[in-house]
Order: sequence, then C-alpha cells, then structure tokens
Amino acid sequence: MVNDSGQLYTMEGIAAGLVMLLTAYLILSTTSIYTPGDTHIPDMQLEQLGSDVLAMMDTPDSDGGENHLVNLINRSDRDGFNSTFLKYCNARTNGDPDTIHMSASVAYRDGDRIEEHQLVKPDETWTGRESAVRVTRWVQLDQQSTRGDPYGSRAQAVLVEVLLWRA
Amino acid sequence: MLRNDEGLFSIDFLVGFTIFMVALIAVASMVPGLLAGLQSSGIDYDAVAYRTGVILAEDPGWPVDPPWEAYDVNHSGEIERTGLAVSKDAPNILLSTKIEKFFDTSFFDPEDYRSKAIFGDITYSYNITLRSLDGRYNHAVGQETPEGYGYIRRVVKIKEPSVAVINGSFKDRYTISPDDNSTTRTFIVRFDFNRLINLSIDPAYRIDPRTEPVNITITDFEKFLNGTASEATLKSVTFRRGSSSIPFPYDEDDTDYYTLRIDNNPVLYPPEPGVGVSSNISLVLKPAATSLFELGPTSILDVEFNFEDKPPDTNITGIHYYDYNPTNVTRPDLKPAVLEVAIW
Repeated sequence: MVNDSGQLYTMEGIAAGLVMLLTAYLILSTTSIYTPGDTHIPDMQLEQLGSDVLAMMDTPDSDGGENHLVNLINRSDRDGFNSTFLKYCNARTNGDPDTIHMSASVAYRDGDRIEEHQLVKPDETWTGRESAVRVTRWVQLDQQSTRGDPYGSRAQAVLVEVLLWRA
Repeated sequence: MLRNDEGLFSIDFLVGFTIFMVALIAVASMVPGLLAGLQSSGIDYDAVAYRTGVILAEDPGWPVDPPWEAYDVNHSGEIERTGLAVSKDAPNILLSTKIEKFFDTSFFDPEDYRSKAIFGDITYSYNITLRSLDGRYNHAVGQETPEGYGYIRRVVKIKEPSVAVINGSFKDRYTISPDDNSTTRTFIVRFDFNRLINLSIDPAYRIDPRTEPVNITITDFEKFLNGTASEATLKSVTFRRGSSSIPFPYDEDDTDYYTLRIDNNPVLYPPEPGVGVSSNISLVLKPAATSLFELGPTSILDVEFNFEDKPPDTNITGIHYYDYNPTNVTRPDLKPAVLEVAIW
C-alpha cells in the first residue's frame, strides 16, 4: 500500500529513463563531430599539389635544359620563385585561378651550423591562424663560383620548404 | 513480505531499471547508425578522386607493350588501366598520345572510365579535365560537378612525340654522288634501338618508338630533285629490321598504325603510293605498327623511302639517324598542364 506522498516509483523510473534516453539521443544526433579523417583531406590535397609543383619546377622542359627550381634558388630570386610556384599552383582547368598563397625558406649547411634562409616571406594574407601545410624538396646545387649569398659557392644539397595556405 | 507501510516492492525498482537498461542497450546499438552521417561520403569521394588522380598522373596504364593507347576499338576490352604517364619512372609526365586517346569519347564510354580509371564497386559519377597552361590541350570528360564532390588536382607536364625534319639544309649530306648510275634512289631513316633505349636518359625525354609515334618529315623536296624535274615518284615505303625485310601487313591507309602524307595532300597514302612528290613527305609511324615489328633493345629499324624513275628524278640518298642529335631530331619541350579529377 502506498503512503500519502503518492509516489509511484515504477512510473517515475520509467519516465526518468525515457528522459535520459531522449537526452542522450538528442545529444548524439545533433552533435557535429569534425573528425581527424575530415581535417586531413584538404591538407592532403594541398600537400599533393605543392609536392607536384616543386617536382615540376625541378623538371626541365627539355633534356639538359634549365631547371627552374635550381636556378631560382641559385639566384635567390624571391619574385621569380613566388610567381613561378603560384602560376603552377593556382592554375585550374576552367581558367579561374585558385587562391593559394605561399611562403618559402631554404635550409642549408654553413660549416657546422644549419641555417635557414627566408626565400619568400608570407604576404599580407598570413595571420598565423591559417590551416597551412608544409611541403619540402631536396635540391642539389652544383658548385658555382657566381652564386651569391647566403649559400656560398660550394656544391651542396639544400632543403626547400614551402608553406601553403588558402586565403 | 512487507517490512513497512510504504507499499514499495523491490520489484518496482527492478522493473524500472530493467526497462531503462533494455532501452539503453537498444540506443547504444543504434549509435553506429547515428554516426553514419559523420561517416561522410565526401571522404570516400576524395579518396577515390585521389586514387584516380594517381592512376592518371603516375601510372602508364596497362598493357604497356604495346601500350594501351595503341589498341583499336575492337580490342578496347583488353585495356585494363588507362594511366597517362610516360613511364612509372616518370610520374607527372604525361604522354600526349595517351591523353588524346583517353579523352576520345568515341572510343571510351562512361563505363570504360569507371572500370579503367576510377574503379570501385559504386557507380561513381566523374568529371576529369586537363588543360595545358598554353591552352593547346583542353580536354574534359564527364558531367557537370554538383555540390559535395571529391576532388584532387595534379600539376603535370605533357610530353609530345619527337620529329625528324629533313629539309634543304641536308641537301649536300643526302645527295647521291654524280658518278652513281643506278636508277633507284633509296633514302633511309634509321632507328638504332641500342642508342634510343638509353637508360641513362630520363624517360621524360627518351625517344621510344615502341611507346610513342615517330615523325619523319622531308621538306624542301624540290632541292633534292634532279635538274629540271618537277617531281619524283615515291614507289614505296618499306621497313627493314637489320638485313631482313619486314612484311608490312597494311596495304591500305590505317591511321591507327601510320599516316603517310605527300605534298600536304589531305589524302592518306598506303605504303606503296607510287605517286609523284614535289615538295614534302610526312610519315608518322605509330606504336601499334612498331609493336608488330618485334623490335628488341638492340634492334635496328630502317624506314626506306624508295624512289624510282627512269631516268632518276631525285638525287636523294643516304641514312638519316633518328637519334638524340638535335640536328637530326627535334624533341618538343614538355608542356606544363593541370589535371583535375572530381568524383561524386
């Protein structure tokens, strides 16, 4: 027999259970989870594109012809590197250019130290909060007496690092 | 037995808790279904687009000898993969002849693109485009892209076939000596595979008649004519492997195998044209034909242009080597291009 509080434990248990289940269902069905699997897709696309561009800049158009990548680094030609890289990188088949921006640096050895030379500085679209990707390529520089600073004239392998982002 | 006057059975709690647990288990079993929306199909589309991009940009396709692009429409079912790369050792370097064939929608139907380039159990829709930066190549297959498609973009370079242009500057080199009394005139273009298939040369720049067309163009032919003759009769074009003659099974023009043009005439000629030549000859020998010649890495293939008039109307003779000498053969520069694949 119940007392005068009029409490129905079974019904309240069922009701509480249903409320909890409904809450759990609502939470699970309305929460958008941005999984790591999603985030790496645009990164992968940009990384693939950047790697392709560096590879194609490193491929002369003719047998024994000019290697754009090596020549631009040899001359430390920041404008040439920037325009050549972005020309390839932003090209699309419909003719409308993409909106990718870049900065580039070259890591090289100077005696016992590893130095980094900022070849292309980030432009005004760089805020530090971009989801940027980094692509690299080793480049062999032959001995060249006319090469200017900072790499010196000796033959060496340098690491070109390019940071890419959309803006 | 009642212990107090609350009227509460322990069975009450047991019933309520049991119902709750059953329902919780049911909901838990539904969780994978709830997360199905997070298992974005876009991820799958991106992965398929990436895979298709790799096949097109880094794979030469299959078969490779003879290359798949040499197959005619009757044998298109034997093509397994339509990769566009020159070689597996030259990723992102595409061969122009593969590109032309791949984007030929009269040769491939949509199911061919799915089964030879895209793969997968699902019937994917696609849009594949390629454009060179100079605009010379501008190809597309597939439908308009909707929202939410998978995508990849590849930067590539396009390799075009080499061409040997024999013009008036070669007149002194390829003119018969005055004391030669023979009535036939034979001009030979020689393919020494020992020189051509040189593994020290990057596949991006290699001349390989087994995988790409070779072009022989004789221009300024009037400079090779004899005296006042206005033309000379090209009796036949024959092929020799070393010292033995190769029977060429195509006595009619067949553009899948070769094209022979004379004096810029739009008419294509068979290998025994028997017509007069006054200004130029253009022969394009395609891999489908070269594969019939059973050529190995040390073979020598001679393409002979046989002229016959009495008295001779031309003084052309000699052997022109189709090799890496830039005077003998012109290799076009690689052309930068962009390849885009969209899948949904």
